[in-house]
Amino acid sequence: MTTQTFSKAASGVSLSIAMAVCRRGVLRVLSRPTLLLPIVFMPVIMLISFTGAFGSLTRIEGYGSENIYDWMAPYVALQGSVFAGVFGSASTAEDFETGFFDRLLLTPGSRSSILLGTVLVSAIRSLFPTVGVVVVALLGGLNLSGGLPAILLLAAASALMASVFCLFSLAIVYRFKTIRSLMIVQLVAFTSFFMTIGQVPLEFMTGWLHQVARFNPTTNVLRFARQGFLDGITWDLTWPGIVVFAAANIVGSVLAFRSLRRIGS
Amino acid sequence: MKTVIETRDLVRKFGEIVAVDGIDLSVSEGEVFGFLGPNGAGKSTAIRMLTTLLHPTSGEIYVSGFNVVTEAADVRKVIGVALQDAAIDPLMTANELIRLQAVLHGISRSEAKKKGGELLERVGLSGAAARRVSTYSGGMRRRLDLALSLIHEPRILFLDEPTTGLDPTSREALWDEVKRLNTELGTTVFLTTQYLEEADQLAHKIAIIDAGRIVRQGIPKELKENISSPTLRVDVEELDLIRAQDVLDSFGDRRPAREGRAAVGLDGGATRLAEVIRALDEAGISVEHLELDAPSLDDVFADATGRRLEGVEEGNE
Repeated sequence: MTTQTFSKAASGVSLSIAMAVCRRGVLRVLSRPTLLLPIVFMPVIMLISFTGAFGSLTRIEGYGSENIYDWMAPYVALQGSVFAGVFGSASTAEDFETGFFDRLLLTPGSRSSILLGTVLVSAIRSLFPTVGVVVVALLGGLNLSGGLPAILLLAAASALMASVFCLFSLAIVYRFKTIRSLMIVQLVAFTSFFMTIGQVPLEFMTGWLHQVARFNPTTNVLRFARQGFLDGITWDLTWPGIVVFAAANIVGSVLAFRSLRRIGS
Repeated sequence: MKTVIETRDLVRKFGEIVAVDGIDLSVSEGEVFGFLGPNGAGKSTAIRMLTTLLHPTSGEIYVSGFNVVTEAADVRKVIGVALQDAAIDPLMTANELIRLQAVLHGISRSEAKKKGGELLERVGLSGAAARRVSTYSGGMRRRLDLALSLIHEPRILFLDEPTTGLDPTSREALWDEVKRLNTELGTTVFLTTQYLEEADQLAHKIAIIDAGRIVRQGIPKELKENISSPTLRVDVEELDLIRAQDVLDSFGDRRPAREGRAAVGLDGGATRLAEVIRALDEAGISVEHLELDAPSLDDVFADATGRRLEGVEEGNE
């Protein structure tokens, strides 16, 4: 038996592989722009529908904003980023179904690079609904007192939100290898978003919903993302959001990586 | 010769189903090894284990001296793999895929460009390199898949049913490329196939798998020789048929033949053909037609399993 001398195992993340996987994802989107339609169209429709339905709430004292677009735009942009995250993992499910994922698994490099590349694509994709929502909101009368920093903060929040949901979705896709398996993630995403301060402030809620929204981590994410849209940007609203993003990304990474490592076992 | 692929009592179960049931393989360096069997025999499961994509339930696999479970990354450095159905992203171009494959194997951009160009030229896809793969024919996809699997110059190449679904011209072109890789570059090739002709054309050594077990293994010529002597069939006038069969019976075991034809398993093979013709001539029998069929791998398969492989419907495992 011949034996060559190589490193015992691939370890660490190869940025070049991650970037190559990411580049492929971006190329796919560019070559099939219709892929972007659901993740841009849905939040824009939600923005139009929510601002229309809840517009008069701004006249109630204590609502939190006199401009419904300032209140709703970050909320629906984040929801769009969740779609972007889940769609990122849906591409991986498609790769499993076509067999292309085997090609990626045959790379001698670390498999975590494949994971990172896929998450990066989702983060980039999240910018499309964010931009779409902000543009439509501006046309509708968005005040945006925080200016560019507020938009950059929202973009960062969207990218981080997309990465969280991409990671959780990948943990499932790596295990079940089908697009259908993502239904459960969508269910969790919708539940977490509707039981929060997305549509009305915490003070407007009563009973169990108030308690759930109060402790729902997504509430901190929304407060983080709405900075510069409702009030100024403050550390008091920033750090809880960072903690939620960090914790969710760490937990998601661990779950996704465990599922990835178990492929083939 | 050095052994570069070795399995010991390899088993893979999916729940209660035993897809691969204790196989022992040994492939030498520079060899073309054919893994022959019908759909569902366990070929693809075996090749997925050999290429690190699937963990064995039990048993051991060594590729180029590396354990495929504990040293998977090292195995992936020395192997090239073209799996069944040519899993290629249809939205990408050949150039983009070559570039991606090169990065996955740590090849620099300039080297990838040079090597990719050469490979695409060799497989006849230079003119289509900038086109999306969705516009390619089945044969073009297979050739691209082969080119992709060679970008890092692997010493061992795994091909999973490389010509399934291809037209005869594309099939022969792919065979030529496999032969060239083996003879010119010394690449060890492990290929699964359900085509007898493919195994016969390409493989120095074969293993026949059925229901997850290796039922025969060896050099095709020897396997065929071991199975039986070639069949000699003789067409004569109807009145001479019984006498002709009597003459033939002295050269070996009688074989079934269609009406109006005598047949025998010719002991000693073609070397005794002249002797048979002389005996028939001496008996005053006029031969209208004569044919000698060497034992085929299908005969080997039939002998081992009691079934024929030839004519089995094509399809994916």
